[in-house]
Amino acid sequence: MSVESAVFTVLGIVAVAGGLATVFAADVSRMAIGLGAFLLAVAGFFVYWGATFLGVAQLFVYVGGVLVLMLFAIMLVHRTPDGSPRLETRHDVSAVAVAGGLFVMVVTALSGVVPDTVDHGLVTGTTELAEALLGPMLAHFEMAGVLLLVALVVVVVIMRGGDER
Amino acid sequence: MSGLIWGAIYGLAAGMVISLAAFIGVWGERKIAGRIQLRYGPQELGPFGLLQTGADTLKLLLKEDITPAAVDVRIFRVAPLIVFAPAAMSLAVIPYAYGFAPIDTGVGVLFFVAVPAISVVGVLLAGWSSRNTYATLGGLRAAAQMISYELPRTLSVLPVVLLAGSMRPLDIMDAWQWWWIPLTFIGFIVYFIASLAEINRVPFDLPEAEAELVAGPFADYSGIRWAIFAMAEYGGLVAASLFGAAVFFGGYLGVPGALGVIVFVLKALVIALLMLWVSWTFPRMRPDQLMATAWKVLTPMALIQLVLVGAVISWL
Repeated sequence: MSVESAVFTVLGIVAVAGGLATVFAADVSRMAIGLGAFLLAVAGFFVYWGATFLGVAQLFVYVGGVLVLMLFAIMLVHRTPDGSPRLETRHDVSAVAVAGGLFVMVVTALSGVVPDTVDHGLVTGTTELAEALLGPMLAHFEMAGVLLLVALVVVVVIMRGGDER
Repeated sequence: MSGLIWGAIYGLAAGMVISLAAFIGVWGERKIAGRIQLRYGPQELGPFGLLQTGADTLKLLLKEDITPAAVDVRIFRVAPLIVFAPAAMSLAVIPYAYGFAPIDTGVGVLFFVAVPAISVVGVLLAGWSSRNTYATLGGLRAAAQMISYELPRTLSVLPVVLLAGSMRPLDIMDAWQWWWIPLTFIGFIVYFIASLAEINRVPFDLPEAEAELVAGPFADYSGIRWAIFAMAEYGGLVAASLFGAAVFFGGYLGVPGALGVIVFVLKALVIALLMLWVSWTFPRMRPDQLMATAWKVLTPMALIQLVLVGAVISWL
């Protein structure tokens, strides 16, 4: 086994183990560690494929932002006297159905797009990425931004609505 | 394969550099604190007070590593390492000598400002796993503070990236001009203050706040695990001053070889001393003042600096 495939295998194992820990751990702080491992492994995948910028952005936004936000939320919930709050879900079947559906959707959408082998011609440097984002891809970039903004506004509206009712 | 071996060697070297920096840092800090606040002990023991730090190190290493009965053992033990690793990682992208950075990457600057985000997770987990109200509160404070100050810190280095037209630290070093110092001075001030907050030093050490929170997330740690937290703090201090000297003051100034490294380290030393001076002069801030400073003062300052540089660039 070459070093490259060994690195890839280790990243894959960490990602899968982290994902499983996120789903199956009953203790929320262990769940967060699993999610952190998964997100770091995904960042590792990006770097592995040569997309360093994406890898560092993943680290910045997901590990530094999303994960910390979730840990924050966990810490603000009520803690049982014997230890950490335990997570009891009542939506096992529907959650599996949604996750499975999403998986099938992503696989079918990407199966024709992602090449089977590494094509280093696809991977561009930071300058090229910036030029693409602010040039031909500007509309897509802005649309994604607007979508996120709309999601944010929706959350605010939902939260406020809860107060008034 | 060689990449993995180099990575291992680098990791070892970074760990040793940080340990050494912590040793020198503790000694220097106590000397400076002694001068500023008229403390006698650390100045008297041995030549230049050097023995005091040696005695303290020995004490820390030999102390019992206490794990309280109520803590979440595994997370409690691993948390100091999650805090320490990013400090070592961020040292990797700094351009130490002419044409040399341990990891030479096109996103070095972004990497440097992004990596401390991992240590936030470690501090939160340390506070949470201690199962102690003070520790949890301290962990929450630390996370809120570090996340808030990441924004002005990232914005403050952007003007230099804009001027150099690259996020690769070596490119910035090559492009650096002396007149960038007055032009990006506001950016440096924002960077300096935000870095102090990012590594939780006085006057921003309210997560630790030994008077009100009995050392916050570190309350239940002792011996070597506590020392790892302290080392991570000094590692952060060293990384912040090295990076500040490189990005805002031109690092080795294009001087090749050992002389360039000396120039670079001297500049970083001045910034580090300034950080220690600030720590022992100002009182601790209040949490609401801290947040207001980040969002209402530092972020607008960084944005003004960015606009200023953007306007100047269009004239070049």
